[in-house]
Amino acid sequence: MSSTASGHAQLDPRLALPFPEAVLPVLRNPQLRKNVAHAIDVIQTKRAKLVLEKTDWQALRTAASAIRTHALENLGAYLEQFEERCTAAGGVVHWAADADEARKIILDLLRQENASEVIKIKTMTSAEIQLNPYLQAAGVDVFETDLAEIILQLGNEEPSHIVVPALHINRSQVREIFARRMGLKGLSDDPKVLTNAARTYLRQKFLSVSTAISGANFLIAETGAVAVVESEGNGRMCLTLPKTMITVAGIEKVLPRLQDLEVMLQLLARSATGERMSPYTSLWTGVTPGDGPQRFHVVLLDNGRSAMLTKPVERQTLKCIRCAACMNACPVYRQTGGHAYGSVYPGPIGAILTPQLMHMEYSQSLPYASSLCGACYEVCPVKINIPEVLLELRSQVVNQERKQLTRIFDPMYLGLLIANLLFAKAWRFHLAQRLGRVGLKLFTRKDEWIHSLPNLGAKWTQTRDLRGLPDETFHEWWASRAKGAK
Amino acid sequence: MSASVTSRQRVLDRIRLATQSCAKNSAGRAEDYAKLPRNYIRRSQPGASVRWELMIKRLREYDAEVVECTPDELPATITAQLTASGRHSFVAPVGLPTEWRSTGFQWKIDRGIDTSEIEQAEGVVTAAFCGVADSGTIVLHHSSNEGRRVITLLPDWHLCILRATQLVETLPEYFDRCLQPPSLATYISGPSATADIEMTRIKGVHGPRFLNVILVSDENVSVLDKDAVQTVSIPAEVGSLKGR
Amino acid sequence: MRASLFITCYNDTLYPETGRAVVRLLERLGVVLEFHPKQTCCGQMHANTGFRGEAFSQAKRFVRLYQEAETVVIPSSSCVAMIRDQYPGLMDELGTDTLRKEFDELLPRVYELSEFLVDKLGMDDVGAYFPHRVTYHASCHGVRALHLGERPYKLLAKVRGLELAPLENVDRCCGFGGTFSVKNAEVSSAMLAVKLQDIVATRAEYCTALDNSCLMHLGGAMHRQFAGMKTIHLAQILASTEDSPAEAVL
Repeated sequence: MSSTASGHAQLDPRLALPFPEAVLPVLRNPQLRKNVAHAIDVIQTKRAKLVLEKTDWQALRTAASAIRTHALENLGAYLEQFEERCTAAGGVVHWAADADEARKIILDLLRQENASEVIKIKTMTSAEIQLNPYLQAAGVDVFETDLAEIILQLGNEEPSHIVVPALHINRSQVREIFARRMGLKGLSDDPKVLTNAARTYLRQKFLSVSTAISGANFLIAETGAVAVVESEGNGRMCLTLPKTMITVAGIEKVLPRLQDLEVMLQLLARSATGERMSPYTSLWTGVTPGDGPQRFHVVLLDNGRSAMLTKPVERQTLKCIRCAACMNACPVYRQTGGHAYGSVYPGPIGAILTPQLMHMEYSQSLPYASSLCGACYEVCPVKINIPEVLLELRSQVVNQERKQLTRIFDPMYLGLLIANLLFAKAWRFHLAQRLGRVGLKLFTRKDEWIHSLPNLGAKWTQTRDLRGLPDETFHEWWASRAKGAK
Repeated sequence: MSASVTSRQRVLDRIRLATQSCAKNSAGRAEDYAKLPRNYIRRSQPGASVRWELMIKRLREYDAEVVECTPDELPATITAQLTASGRHSFVAPVGLPTEWRSTGFQWKIDRGIDTSEIEQAEGVVTAAFCGVADSGTIVLHHSSNEGRRVITLLPDWHLCILRATQLVETLPEYFDRCLQPPSLATYISGPSATADIEMTRIKGVHGPRFLNVILVSDENVSVLDKDAVQTVSIPAEVGSLKGR
Repeated sequence: MRASLFITCYNDTLYPETGRAVVRLLERLGVVLEFHPKQTCCGQMHANTGFRGEAFSQAKRFVRLYQEAETVVIPSSSCVAMIRDQYPGLMDELGTDTLRKEFDELLPRVYELSEFLVDKLGMDDVGAYFPHRVTYHASCHGVRALHLGERPYKLLAKVRGLELAPLENVDRCCGFGGTFSVKNAEVSSAMLAVKLQDIVATRAEYCTALDNSCLMHLGGAMHRQFAGMKTIHLAQILASTEDSPAEAVL
């Protein structure tokens, strides 16, 4: 059964709606909000318990942050080392400057194999470069093998989380999708039954398809190894049974030495799924004669990452190990789910990674999709100071706006420039307070509250009242008290 | 391929330019790497019996079946496990000790047998490289008594034999045990599972749904010694990685 | 003990009663208070919206204004977080070495209110009386930027007559987030709705916090919904005594 061409138009930053608009249908969808909150709560509870148990948790975070920072500061050297070792072990390393190149390289490799079908392990990197629709259009059938990815693929849905991509879909929705697309009558919505349906559906594919595509959790410079962490075993199937393996990985995934996994693996599963270790971690180096694929290719993907290396405040974004702890902790994501971010990388990490990958030409609303509460930074296993990056990107967005003629029509922009002028001199500020007090009297009702404001103010009053400005500011009170005392 | 060569140069040039103020040469890198802060627990020093008990606890937490035995009892314990499974045909890695291949069962010794044959086997028996008690992880380096990766993947039932001397407490201790970094490894910390549907944990998607472990004691850990086990607070050994 | 009060731009304009409470409280505790008449804003709104140059000019002004102050007390954890977390970067990026030095010398003398009471004055019993059922919302900046920890709870525990109702998800963001409340008003309101569920479930009469920004947002919705609950800044609870009970609140 062939898959559909699932376009990612909804998650293409170039086409996505700005965040404040994109959230509206989600916020009006109680079922979706409930599904998201439930999934998050399960992971958060498990994670919290394990973090408490791990008495050296903070030391691990510090080490992980340092290891990742060191790797990024020396990325060129470590990538070259990885390439050399991987090649010596029988792998072939390709370099893709952007998504377009990566897709072409992969299609070329498939053509060389005469592959008309390919099995895939879940990899957000492949979603980032929109690989599936490209391959489908070129006549290659793509079979996702992760349960969540199958649900999305068959249901023509988009991922909304980077670890549990189908968390926005409940069991009866899955039942409906499987019944329809797998042609199964009388399928119950028991997750066990549904999972078994997927297992049966895939078994033959694993045993027959000769080319697989994966991502990578980590690339090891010291040995040229690739590490993939997973729960279901479909990863092991894909990287053991086929003849040819293609791994596409962002250039930032590299760790200096294999032993660095002793830190990363302790942090990853606890952060991602609330487990001490994921059921399976697979490590392979190039080609092993007699064991697994005899042809192995790695496609190293830049696609905007190298541009993020220059400034330390931006560079830290690349420390990310894709655990999704940030979005599980995020009170914004909890209400909106992932689709509203218009990117395959949602949540706090998406809010900083997506605009940067797009060279700040798109997704400018994402750095503002945060109340700066800091919960993400608190849980990030590699200590990415996400609020700091958000603020940096906000200033970059504003600096873009400063150059645009249309800025004079943006009430927020004007308001902030004026406010700055007012704050510069106390007399201006005080005058503005007095004028504001008078002006807002128009909107202040008998109960001394404002229930409705025009324009930008309406954004506040649509759900909140505002107490009318008191007749005396604090500084006026202080001044009159001082005078009275004399 | 020439496009890819240019891309390689392009990407590396971009990286070099972007990191010129912080990238170090080989000696500088090694020095920086050695100084990275590693104040996490690298080794704990409980008694061997604490590791043993913890490993059993963790394995049972993810529903692996665990039995303990002495070295003398091992062949009989294996037979008992195989019999209890109700299965008859098993794959064995080519280096599996002969006395572990109990009589009365069909053995397919993997000298490069076909995938379809492995698919038809009902179970597999292997040794392991190491067990990490902290997470109940079984480490396979796919040596001759552990077998190719496919044989611990396709059959539905996996019996793994681990000696007490192969147990470590922490993940860093496992890496310290590797005389050189393995080129091929699988870390098993539970049967395959998914939580993709409403976060309901379902076991056994792909990969063996049943994991059985036999823990074999040695002189340091007696099966009878369990009463002497105390939970000790772990004095952490912290600091830098040992040089290699 | 002398302390210079930085009231914050929004307290000055919208919540003068919080300022009056701080004055009453600190003077009762023997602190000699000063108020610099030229103070305006710490620059947080501009920094958080991406207007760094503008934020810097306000930061510079703040540093210059308080150079001579023995201590600076601020009844707003988000403003203190701005000064502690963002001023250094602004100074490095846009300031001179001299200014940076001035800032470095000032910073240890800047206190959020609960820090001033517990750390600087070394007290948790400030002689307060507030016989009501109260729940405490832990503002994000207080928890994660200032690491206030137990300080507000220590102070609340010593308020006579006060019954503290614990809040579920106490440190989950209320959804205000400054301009976020307007730029992403709908998400802000969704977060507010969820937070209010937890707050209302405490059956408290008052919801308190160390930031009027959160309270303006929470209280504004409570008022809109006739929720039967009010908000009040912690300073006003601490200033309240039998003789001068807390002023009329939201």
